[in-house]
Amino acid sequence: MIAFTDIVGMDMAKQALMLLAVDPSLGGVVIPASVGSGKSTLARSFADILPEDTPFVELPLNVTEDRLIGGVDLEATLVKGERVVQHGVLSRAHEGVLYVDSLSLLDSSAVSHVMDAMSRGAVLVEREGLSEVHPSKFMLIGTYDPTDGDVRMGLLDRIGMIVPFATQNDYRARKQIVSAVIGETDAEDTEDELRMLKGLIAAAKELLPKVSMTSEQMQGLIQSAVSLGVEGNRVDIFAVRAALASAALAQRNDVDEDDLKLAVKLVLVPRATRMPQREEEVQEEMPPDEEMPPEEPETEDQDAPPDTPDADAEEEQEETPDMIEELMMDAVETELPDNIMNISLASKKKSTSGSRGEALNNRRGRFVRAQDGEMRSGKVALIPTLISAAPWQASRKSEREKKYGKSATALLINKEDVKIKKFRDKSGTLYVFMVDASGSMALNRMRQAKGAVSHLLQNAYVHRDQVALLSFRGKEAQVLLPPSQSVDRAKRELDVLPTGGGTPLSSALYLGWETAKQARTKGISQIMFVLITDGRGNIGLQSSFDKDAQKASKEELESEIGALAASISADGIASIVIDTQMNYLSRGEAPRLAEKLGGRYFYLPNAKAEQIAEAALS
Amino acid sequence: MTQTASAAKKPAATKTRAGSTARKTAGPKKARTRKKQAQAFPFTAIVGQEEMKLSLILNIIDPRIGGVLVMGHRGTGKSTTVRALAEVLPMIERVRDDIYNRTTTQYLEAEKPRKGTKALAEEDLVIEDIPVPVVDLPLGATEDRVCGTIDIEQALTSGVKAFEPGLLAQANRGFLYIDEVNLLDDHLVDVLLDVAASGRNVVEREGISIRHPARFVLVGSGNPEEGELRPQLLDRFGLHARIITITDVDRRVEIVKRRRLFDDDPQAFLKKWNREQKKLQKQILNAKELLPEVTMSDDVLTDVARLCMQLGIDGHRGELTITRTAHAFAAFKGDKEVTMEHVREIAGLALRHRLRKDPLETIDPGEKIERELAKVLGEAEEV
Repeated sequence: MIAFTDIVGMDMAKQALMLLAVDPSLGGVVIPASVGSGKSTLARSFADILPEDTPFVELPLNVTEDRLIGGVDLEATLVKGERVVQHGVLSRAHEGVLYVDSLSLLDSSAVSHVMDAMSRGAVLVEREGLSEVHPSKFMLIGTYDPTDGDVRMGLLDRIGMIVPFATQNDYRARKQIVSAVIGETDAEDTEDELRMLKGLIAAAKELLPKVSMTSEQMQGLIQSAVSLGVEGNRVDIFAVRAALASAALAQRNDVDEDDLKLAVKLVLVPRATRMPQREEEVQEEMPPDEEMPPEEPETEDQDAPPDTPDADAEEEQEETPDMIEELMMDAVETELPDNIMNISLASKKKSTSGSRGEALNNRRGRFVRAQDGEMRSGKVALIPTLISAAPWQASRKSEREKKYGKSATALLINKEDVKIKKFRDKSGTLYVFMVDASGSMALNRMRQAKGAVSHLLQNAYVHRDQVALLSFRGKEAQVLLPPSQSVDRAKRELDVLPTGGGTPLSSALYLGWETAKQARTKGISQIMFVLITDGRGNIGLQSSFDKDAQKASKEELESEIGALAASISADGIASIVIDTQMNYLSRGEAPRLAEKLGGRYFYLPNAKAEQIAEAALS
Repeated sequence: MTQTASAAKKPAATKTRAGSTARKTAGPKKARTRKKQAQAFPFTAIVGQEEMKLSLILNIIDPRIGGVLVMGHRGTGKSTTVRALAEVLPMIERVRDDIYNRTTTQYLEAEKPRKGTKALAEEDLVIEDIPVPVVDLPLGATEDRVCGTIDIEQALTSGVKAFEPGLLAQANRGFLYIDEVNLLDDHLVDVLLDVAASGRNVVEREGISIRHPARFVLVGSGNPEEGELRPQLLDRFGLHARIITITDVDRRVEIVKRRRLFDDDPQAFLKKWNREQKKLQKQILNAKELLPEVTMSDDVLTDVARLCMQLGIDGHRGELTITRTAHAFAAFKGDKEVTMEHVREIAGLALRHRLRKDPLETIDPGEKIERELAKVLGEAEEV
């Protein structure tokens, strides 16, 4: 076991963990990092700097609902003849740490329960005849590899700090340092260092209630949040807490500039929906329902946060918060990679994770029938169990009396009596729309795709279907909308889309396949690709990844697409290809693509959105 | 009512008469549910989010409005606000310890004398005041806890099939709150739709057969980006409040400051806001009293009908909701006569989610309603 103080590098993550130790109401720390960066080691070593008997509970990815929330311990209940309550993982982490490795792969229902516990500070157990409240205030430590997919925004919103993603070179170098250091650490040194660190944290905790922040500083922080387009007020509170904790850790009574900068970096920037300076992007990111004043001709004014209606008033009234904000934003600009918005997408290119299989099946969905089974392997069907036990009561009782004497137990149930409920899984289908945004027909296809997506989503509630949307043009394909059920989001993503350029069909197939794999780890088993294209790919995978790569020949392209299509088909993914090209222009590429994918081909020039949706559903 | 049902309810009836607490051992009790919430942030101290607060208040004034759906951005205080609601709710009367929160009339109605038993009379029943119940339905709830089910313990220990009421029973005459309602399991949504439509909960499972009243104000909240709500469920909500992130820095600072004060010393904070809370409670009570006297002229009614027609709203639920809501709003303002100004204030809340969804529509539903409303009013002036 490597101690907290022995880990070299990952300074931001360590800093975040220390702040959390000082103020657990910061909710937690999320550490996105690549495989082998030592993120799990660091997370586990967090226990080192916490008080002695703080609970540290690890949440396994395949956790069942019963285990997570708690419920009736049926085995014990049956043995004792009275209700025995079993506390769930969430409750056991109370006043301690809940650690999730691969947070992005956590089942979505588990994520919902974790979110619920975090917002309430308790778990409501309303299950199997049980109605209890178990306190559940914990710090959540989550690590994940961004190539495995993203963590749900709702969950991230309840976790105070998100460590900026460490780039690859860094982690390699750091790994070397780590291994080098481990070799020569002295156990005694480690212990001393840990003791010192613990003392520091204890002192900071004591100081924390006395640390103060000026109104201007608070305004500056919140103004930064507004300029970065951070959603909600919970995050503001986290930012303030982080700054205060940072000051406390430095044994200061007052918050200073560094504390504010740290808060911006750990709390606000990772949630940015826009970078404050770039006006064009701001407009793209704006949700459609927010009021946006018509574009003003003057563009020189860069300091004012573009969407704050009263930004001007703000400036006149008080200079200081603005200056503070500017200062912090400068720090952010210089210290962070400029493609912060694309980090998670960029890192998705090289996914190595295979399918991890689905964890839970016979626990959700519709109850179909009861059958023999292990008590642990599912939900016990009570009445069938009782019925099967009933005929044996007399004989069992007399047998038991012989062995143990008279007992008050009314009912004797053996293992063989137990019947388990069988459920039919109702998880839906993921439709991955891949829309060719190249060439002249792009706008038209986009409109059709948009209609079809909305149509599918609005008719798919009962099945819990999801839709993802990819567009491809220029050098590579792009995920516009990760798997989602939200009509609002789909509409927003589709509203702004550049068109024209080359046709990177291979890249689209590849990215679609990656999206499908990620969805599978989250329990969606059925996947359908809906390709809206003329099928004429002219950009190879090499050129998508490497700008300087040689242009692929026609044959190379053909075989590349063929290989990808075959793998996709072999992976059990269904496809349909919708060709919207005018007939006389077609050279039969789209039907060939459909054939390679083992899918169906529809020729629908001027197709209506409903027709496309029907084709996908049929 | 079936035999099993009466068997289950008998102990409750005898207990009320005897005034004992014989049922204490038989499963979860109502009192526990009320106590379990920690100190809630005061309703009146919540900054902004007027739409949501107004919707909730109107539903207290007239529970027939049919509940409210609160959808919006993350971390904007949706659940904080709903959980704060309990503190400003008025008291209601019920038969003491009745698990279904029934009034004496309802109780006597349901517990009709059977052969061989003496008829219950009103003077046999003890009455108590309880705050309007607010029941939290967590996402992980199982169907048996929502609807009620056989009492496992009793089934195992004594072999008796007794009914253990669920959350729907507790929520009768109160509020039922579902956070992240758009993520609720489909089979629970089916149950809710059923019960919300009929006002009764019918349990036919595991060998028991029970029906009991379950009328409640359904309050749901969620973030639309996490998933859509089924149209049938959407339609069930009387009002639809929308929430967006406040972008005004000063107001956001105020939110943070208040939250910190509350976290540092909840008691002191509550004390500070006590007067505001009492004031609002009084205003709600007055409005509730005034409500039966509030009237709406035929002219206003015609305008409302025309508005709904022009917006292409199917069915009468829209009209009914907007009318009731306007009445409640007038009562809240202390007015006895509903005017189109009242209607204007609440039209968006009552109709927003009832407009036909067009995927390619870019105009905001609220704006559309406002526009049509102006048209209707313009015409009204000409006539």
